Amino acid sequence: MSGYCIACQEKPATPRVVVVGLASCFGCQLQITNVEAHLLDVLGQIDLRYWQLASSDPMPEEFDVAVIEGAVTTEEAEATVRQLRERAGVVITIGACATTAGIPGMAAAGFLERPAQVYDHVPAACGEMIAPRPVQAVIDVDFEVRTCPVDSLDFVDVLQRALYGSNKAVPTRTMCGDCKRNETSCFFGKQQLCLGLVTRAGCGARCVNLGRPCNGCRGLSPDANLPSAREACERYGVSVADFDKALEMFNQVNPALQTSE
Amino acid sequence: MLYRVIDASELPSLVSAFMETYEVVAPVKRDRSYVFEAVESFDDIELGYDTTVSSPKKYFLPPTETLFPFDARDNEVAAFAAEITPRVIFGAHACDINALNRLDLVFRDGRYPDPYYVARRKATLIVGVSCTPDATCFCNLWGADEARFGYDLFLQDLGDKYLVSISSVEAANILEAACNPRVATDEDRIEFRHATRRRQDAFNGEIPDIQDVAMLMDAFHKDPYWEELGGRCLACTACSAVCPTCFCFDIQDTLDPDGKTGRRERTWDSCTSPQFAQVAGGHNFRADGRNRVRHRMYHKLNGFLANHDRMLCVGCGRCVTACKANINPIEVLRFFERKGADDAE
Repeated sequence: MSGYCIACQEKPATPRVVVVGLASCFGCQLQITNVEAHLLDVLGQIDLRYWQLASSDPMPEEFDVAVIEGAVTTEEAEATVRQLRERAGVVITIGACATTAGIPGMAAAGFLERPAQVYDHVPAACGEMIAPRPVQAVIDVDFEVRTCPVDSLDFVDVLQRALYGSNKAVPTRTMCGDCKRNETSCFFGKQQLCLGLVTRAGCGARCVNLGRPCNGCRGLSPDANLPSAREACERYGVSVADFDKALEMFNQVNPALQTSE
Repeated sequence: MLYRVIDASELPSLVSAFMETYEVVAPVKRDRSYVFEAVESFDDIELGYDTTVSSPKKYFLPPTETLFPFDARDNEVAAFAAEITPRVIFGAHACDINALNRLDLVFRDGRYPDPYYVARRKATLIVGVSCTPDATCFCNLWGADEARFGYDLFLQDLGDKYLVSISSVEAANILEAACNPRVATDEDRIEFRHATRRRQDAFNGEIPDIQDVAMLMDAFHKDPYWEELGGRCLACTACSAVCPTCFCFDIQDTLDPDGKTGRRERTWDSCTSPQFAQVAGGHNFRADGRNRVRHRMYHKLNGFLANHDRMLCVGCGRCVTACKANINPIEVLRFFERKGADDAE
């Protein structure tokens, strides 16, 4: 994460923001609109120049902050994010698709053969397809808002980090500590699989709070200890094969997952 | 110390009397475990609980607390008041009371007392209750199986009655008003002795008693064992979240959505968190599990002893259950037991 801070620039001006959607369901962009109660407060802090979801005005030449949703799945998308990186002082990725390749990433294996299996003639709208990848596999990313979909206020928090700077560290610890803070029962005690063991913390373990195991939508922590997690699965009577399979949902293109096997 | 005896049937009226002035928090059943939480009635309380997921530490050092609100526009602190709820922690085990006594050394008795902690500690009464150790308990190894101070009342279960140790006037007055405390008889004292013996005999004899562990850790600081133990750390920080004596924190500023006002917050941190020892410029003094776990064990079983003459570990056993990688002080004791056996050969 860079130390770029809009407010620290020589001539602070209202930061110009663009919001761009790549391969995704657009749900994370919707989550921005879902910050309803505070939406005007948030918009008041920025100069929103481009947002596909809200307006068909074309993307401007100049802006300060690029917010990117979705995975990179075409050469066109790759060119788009490279251009965004060149023009923006700050790049923020939002959602699992942009940060882990997410749902498009699930199709990474055999991705290039698939269109021919579906279509007799692959439509031009598909673009020049490339294997799905997260945005940071193509360009440097300054800030991330993880989870599927993003939490509205989490997005605002990260946007403000970019606008004003922050003394908050970006943790890479995994989730189980959050469950202990919440004092929820561990699924492993019930021989049930949960991906919290290796998934990057930060959401407050909200699925577990709702009685569901973590499905790993925040992606593998760079400090995930896969060999130890597999041993833990064995010790608690949870299938290691199920564990590895479940990880593919949000981490299929993560190099850590591929090299550890 | 003043001792009195009350009948077990008098406990509900004691709890009701506390509820008139205080929020009462006590162990309650949640899913497959127990947790301390505010109760509305004595019937919700599970005094026979084995342990709780997290400890009563959370009532003195909340997982996240606001230190003060601020106004970012003029860079001013907006207020200082902390939220303090007068509270009774009802049913704390001896290990947790001993843990609180250790937190006192850090946050209350040092050169710079922590006003937030001290205010909560002052506004809280502690009612301890005796317990029977389970397989993961090793408080006895560190002399933490008895609470000698740090509580207001301590209830020793003697079947249909409790021997009550009374150590504060405030709690004594409430006990006096709510129950009919009577002077202990010789029979009560003999039952108390038997109960204590039963507890002492119930500890898991499989857990090695290595009283010189602190010295051994100094001697074996570079042993390959620390890689074996720390190398399997999952970096989840469950250990310190459940630990009744882990007190490290981070301080962060959180802006409100309008960007104009915000809060300075203190939140639990952990030395097993990968960023814990990372400093400006990016250097990380403990960049891997080996160094982080070893550091944590040294603080629990070595460093605090050197500074405060007692272990920072109280042997509550919570981390034994919480850590999915089987990293805990018992494993360290087992390592030194093996070392001793190797040397003897």
